[in-house]
Amino acid sequence: MQRGDVGTAELTAQESLQAIHTTMEEARSSMYVAGTATILLLWGVIASVGFISMYVTETLAPDFVADNPWFPAPLWGVLVTVGMVGSAIIGTRAGSTGASGDAIRSAGIRVFLFWLAVAAAALLVPAGAGMWVEGAGDEIGHVAIGIVALGHVLFGIMHRPAIAVVGLGLAAAFFVPSYLAGDAALIVSGVSMLAVAALGWAWIRRSGVL
Amino acid sequence: MTDGKIVLDETIHQSTRLRIMTMLVSVPDGDRLTYGFIQETLGLTGGNLTTHLRKLEDAGHLAITKEVDGSKPRTWVQATPSGLSAFAEYLSNLHKALNWSPRT
Repeated sequence: MQRGDVGTAELTAQESLQAIHTTMEEARSSMYVAGTATILLLWGVIASVGFISMYVTETLAPDFVADNPWFPAPLWGVLVTVGMVGSAIIGTRAGSTGASGDAIRSAGIRVFLFWLAVAAAALLVPAGAGMWVEGAGDEIGHVAIGIVALGHVLFGIMHRPAIAVVGLGLAAAFFVPSYLAGDAALIVSGVSMLAVAALGWAWIRRSGVL
Repeated sequence: MTDGKIVLDETIHQSTRLRIMTMLVSVPDGDRLTYGFIQETLGLTGGNLTTHLRKLEDAGHLAITKEVDGSKPRTWVQATPSGLSAFAEYLSNLHKALNWSPRT
């Protein structure tokens, strides 16, 4: 008997150990990405609603914007709150349809904390850089979107490369119009991010993410 | 081990069934996975998964229960205590096989 010959056909011992290792990784990863595609679509809709609302307000009510330069803050506050609550509900429901018990609860908590940390960084990094001043709204948005896109890239590297690619797509959908679309940047960014999120949703669903 | 030859549980020692059992033992004792979760994670067809689950169930390595959640039927799969023991023994034998070398 040769080293690794295990007495039955089909798999060698080495192949079996490799299959065990790979499957454990896949099982763990599947729990972490449960609901990711739908959550991604939700945030695409939220970003789109936010940017389009800002564009419509600035276009139709310039006097209101001049009198209330901080008007995007409560708008995004409501939208982000809806997004966080919605993500938690979607993630919990998606996880419970795949598994029951401690493993899926632990995965759900870790994923929630990961995105909570990303959201906190998107707010605190601009604050730490002294950007929370009047007139710096655009710059804060740029930094926040960049950090959220980075969150997608990191999460994708750890669990599903498709998520990293979608994160880069979301960043491009925001930054390219913001530099090239002039006065229409907000509405082009909003529509582009919704389109990227929808395409990402379809792609990730096809790749087998629950 | 028989006559110096390592014998593996043939029910587990098959590519798809090994991956199914690995998924079931990779969650804490008492946790269950749904049929759909296993199918999507392993990229199997329904027929293929059902066939292999039946073989593992017949061997007593796993238990399958059907429940209705609201209006949706859901099939749960869980490793049995004997399935956990069989997998542990299988893993132990694999390690022995990898460390085994013929005496000269």
